[in-house]
Amino acid sequence: MAETADTAAEQEEVLTDQDIVTGAKEPSLKPADVKAPELTGDIQIPHLVKGAMAKSKCHAAKPETMEAMGFPGRLVDNWEEAAVKKLGELLTKYKSLQVYLDICVRCGSCTDKCQFFLGSKDPKNMPVARADLLRKVYKKYFTTEGKIFGSLAGAAKLDLELLGEWYTYFHQCSQCRRCSVFCPYGIDTAEISMAAREIMDSIGIGQKYVNTVLVKLHEIGNNLGMNPKALKATMESTEEDIQEEDGVAVKLPVDQVGAEVLLITPSADFFATPHIESLIGYAKVFHQAGISWTLSSTASEAGNFGMFIGSYEHMQKAAMRIRKAIEELKPKRLIVGECGHAWRIAYAFWNTMIGPLDNSLGLKLEYPRPQHICEYTLDLVERGAIKLDKSANDDVIPTFHDSCNVARATRMGDRPGGQFEIPRALINAACNRYVEMDSDTIKEKTFCCGGGGGLLSDEILDVRVQGAMPRMQAYHAIKEENGANFFALICAICKAQFTKVFPKYGIPMIEVGGIHQLVAKAIELGAKE
Amino acid sequence: MSFELDGKTYETDDDGYLVNLDEWNEGVAGYMAEQEGIDMTEAHWEVVNFLRDYYQEYNIAPAIKILIKEMKKMFGPEKGNSAYLYDLYPAGPALQACKIAGLPKPTGCV
Amino acid sequence: MSGLTIFFVIYAYVAIAVFILGFLYRIWKFGKTPAPLKIDQTPAPTSDGGVVGRMILEVGVFKSLLKSNRIIWLFGYMFHIGLFLALLKHFRFFFAYGPGWIAYITTFEIYAGLIMLFGLIMLFVLRLVVDRTAFISVMNDYLLLILLAAIASSGLIIKHFSRTNLTTVKEFILGIVSFNPQEMPSEVMFIIHISLVFLLFIYFPFSKLMHSGGVFFSPTRNQVDNPRDRRWVNPWGKAPENIEIASNMTQDEG
Ligand code: HEM
Ligand code: SF4
Ligand code: SF4
Ligand code: SF4
Repeated sequence: MAETADTAAEQEEVLTDQDIVTGAKEPSLKPADVKAPELTGDIQIPHLVKGAMAKSKCHAAKPETMEAMGFPGRLVDNWEEAAVKKLGELLTKYKSLQVYLDICVRCGSCTDKCQFFLGSKDPKNMPVARADLLRKVYKKYFTTEGKIFGSLAGAAKLDLELLGEWYTYFHQCSQCRRCSVFCPYGIDTAEISMAAREIMDSIGIGQKYVNTVLVKLHEIGNNLGMNPKALKATMESTEEDIQEEDGVAVKLPVDQVGAEVLLITPSADFFATPHIESLIGYAKVFHQAGISWTLSSTASEAGNFGMFIGSYEHMQKAAMRIRKAIEELKPKRLIVGECGHAWRIAYAFWNTMIGPLDNSLGLKLEYPRPQHICEYTLDLVERGAIKLDKSANDDVIPTFHDSCNVARATRMGDRPGGQFEIPRALINAACNRYVEMDSDTIKEKTFCCGGGGGLLSDEILDVRVQGAMPRMQAYHAIKEENGANFFALICAICKAQFTKVFPKYGIPMIEVGGIHQLVAKAIELGAKE
Repeated sequence: MSFELDGKTYETDDDGYLVNLDEWNEGVAGYMAEQEGIDMTEAHWEVVNFLRDYYQEYNIAPAIKILIKEMKKMFGPEKGNSAYLYDLYPAGPALQACKIAGLPKPTGCV
Repeated sequence: MSGLTIFFVIYAYVAIAVFILGFLYRIWKFGKTPAPLKIDQTPAPTSDGGVVGRMILEVGVFKSLLKSNRIIWLFGYMFHIGLFLALLKHFRFFFAYGPGWIAYITTFEIYAGLIMLFGLIMLFVLRLVVDRTAFISVMNDYLLLILLAAIASSGLIIKHFSRTNLTTVKEFILGIVSFNPQEMPSEVMFIIHISLVFLLFIYFPFSKLMHSGGVFFSPTRNQVDNPRDRRWVNPWGKAPENIEIASNMTQDEG
């Protein structure tokens, strides 16, 4: 008896507040043990299973990582007060936060829209329930209603348990904005989870995956930590591969001052498979178009995880590398490779954060600044400047997964909805047999891959596999019906996520690829008439 | 996190990757392979050694395509492909081969 | 003046003042908080006119809600349209001689009240029986629906079952708005009705009812999709010239 009491006391002692919040001392998940739900082709709205995902927590960032980012190394002692203060500060900086915390009527129309709820059945993954975790605290400390009515109005004190729920559930949101589409006021839970993560970082509890990657991005210039030497070696090796396969000397130039185009692409394109196949696609397109282009070894990343943690400062600092690269390499045009959240930041935020992107930086005004690689390639195809041989892709029956950031936060081309039409038009220009998934799962209603927003980490593979469920059902349905066998993407995270998750659902990972991978196969290289 | 082997303690990160690259030795690799349920054959070792050599030179693991190209050189064309790589390391080169080679886990959008 | 009248005159002015000042304060706050970045939810209009159109559809027919959930839309829309018509109808109390079209609305006012009440009851039922909404609901969500239903019911009773003299009601209200208070009608149903209305006025600016003003400030819906063409400026953002970044930007061959 005395012994058990002792060990219990001992355990009490070693569990710090930080451990409780981040679940640091809980056994971590074994990726191999994660099982996927069955594929039926239907997306069912589940009944609630309370607490189903309460234990699925991300690893916490190490003190050195936190400090490198300018955050406290670990949970600060006065965290309640500090968190409330930070929330107060954010309320004066973000209209979205102020308005969205105030105006939700809890109508419930978003409750069945989040892939993480559909996949996990955990009610706290319903967008409004997720947002309410922060709203409770807002009500308690900042509103008259909350101060008078307390829990009757849904107000609650920020205690250790609630903070633990923040840590859990704000890291089970991929910031995909699907809920926003369906909310009568456009309440964007992504904005709320960004704010919550910013608050958590500011009191010393950050997520390991995102913060470690950001430190690498700040120090080395990309998420992978690939230095210029490794980048150049990899590009040379890729040139050899193309030479060997197609017999054409397609170049992948790095740091060429004065090249017409500066390509900013996710660093995964230099490293991972299938990402690199799309990189080869871009290179072939530039080659065949006869345009000079370059990568930058110091701005070797389109991705920018600063957004995921809601940090304007980190996002801007990361984006500054691109501005510096423009200043140094003096390109006339700025093109962005296949990446979802990166295109959002490039399209919607660059001009604000590192702009103006105009002739003051030497960019030509007649081109979109920045331009998406799909916009660029499709334009060449339509003008006949490059030729695609569709029959080269006759072995594939592709479908297209709209990446949520592209679909719901950006545009391509001149008209609203170009972000849906242009990638599809490009696939159709490269293939004969395109098929579409269920209309409730595409375009603005697209489901997230389940790995966006900083969730692409293996200790929460269960969250990722469940989050992918709706998309997998939709893909499964057209596999059954139309024999679809290629899942075309324009997002580095989507590619990484699906190559990991497909096998869990019993689908070969080889079916995952990029649009420019199809272009790479179909493009006719060599002399032009 | 950490583990103990032959009386020495090795520190690992949350996912079981060796923290200090220099502490790596074949015993460590063997131990880690056992944890992953992998029976280290000659081919497994060659992959691991290549990863380590590459890392020494470039401070990062090689791109999968480069690894596979190297495997083509090592094992001949019929085994120089990703199917064979996944035969050797079913959970993938990043999750298993890098871990056994004592390299840090590749992160980013990969 | 009776004690009842004195009480209600004070109650009326307090309620109206709280409502107007509170509402304006909240709107002012929504308006003054900066939006640092373009976060419009695309596909979004590329012109100001387009945004106005988007808003009209959202406010006029609850377009996103319709896309999302037909059942909530149906009952929610019934309630709001009923409320809207009932409010219009009430304008006749504010004018000595109401414009003709108000009289026209008055001809189907009974439906307005009933539609509103029915919508409210169904919203209440939905909230209770759907496990997802039951999970997210807090007491005030239910109480608010009850309050609104009580207002609607007492109004319907006044109109159709009680003998409240509407002329005295009108005199009382005109008295309030013209700062020349008149005697308060002492019919019980009317006392209940107007007490609840003033309670709603007071609660309004503190509550989620602010969605009625807030919806116009929602950045995902009110921004124009043109960030490449026109630079959006963050009022609190640092100029890029003032950002320091790591020194390896000019590094040599590693
Ligand atoms: C610009 C004006 C307004 C717009 C666009 C608007 C829109 C909406 C929408 C779309 C909903 C969600 C669907 C639903 O549950 O009905 C809602 C809910 C609600 N609205 Fe409004 N509304 C407006 C004004 C008002 C006003 C003036 C009141 C009351 C005095 C009001 C009371 C409510 C209530 C109580 C709910 C919650 C219903 C529930 O509990 O399910 N609204 N509103
Ligand atoms: S749809 Fe919007 S208003 Fe309705 S519950 Fe969800 S967030 Fe709140
Ligand atoms: S932003 Fe996406 S992931 Fe987050 S709550 Fe909304 S639907 Fe779910
Ligand atoms: S990873 Fe892809 S699907 Fe997932 S959030 Fe990002 S863009 Fe969306």
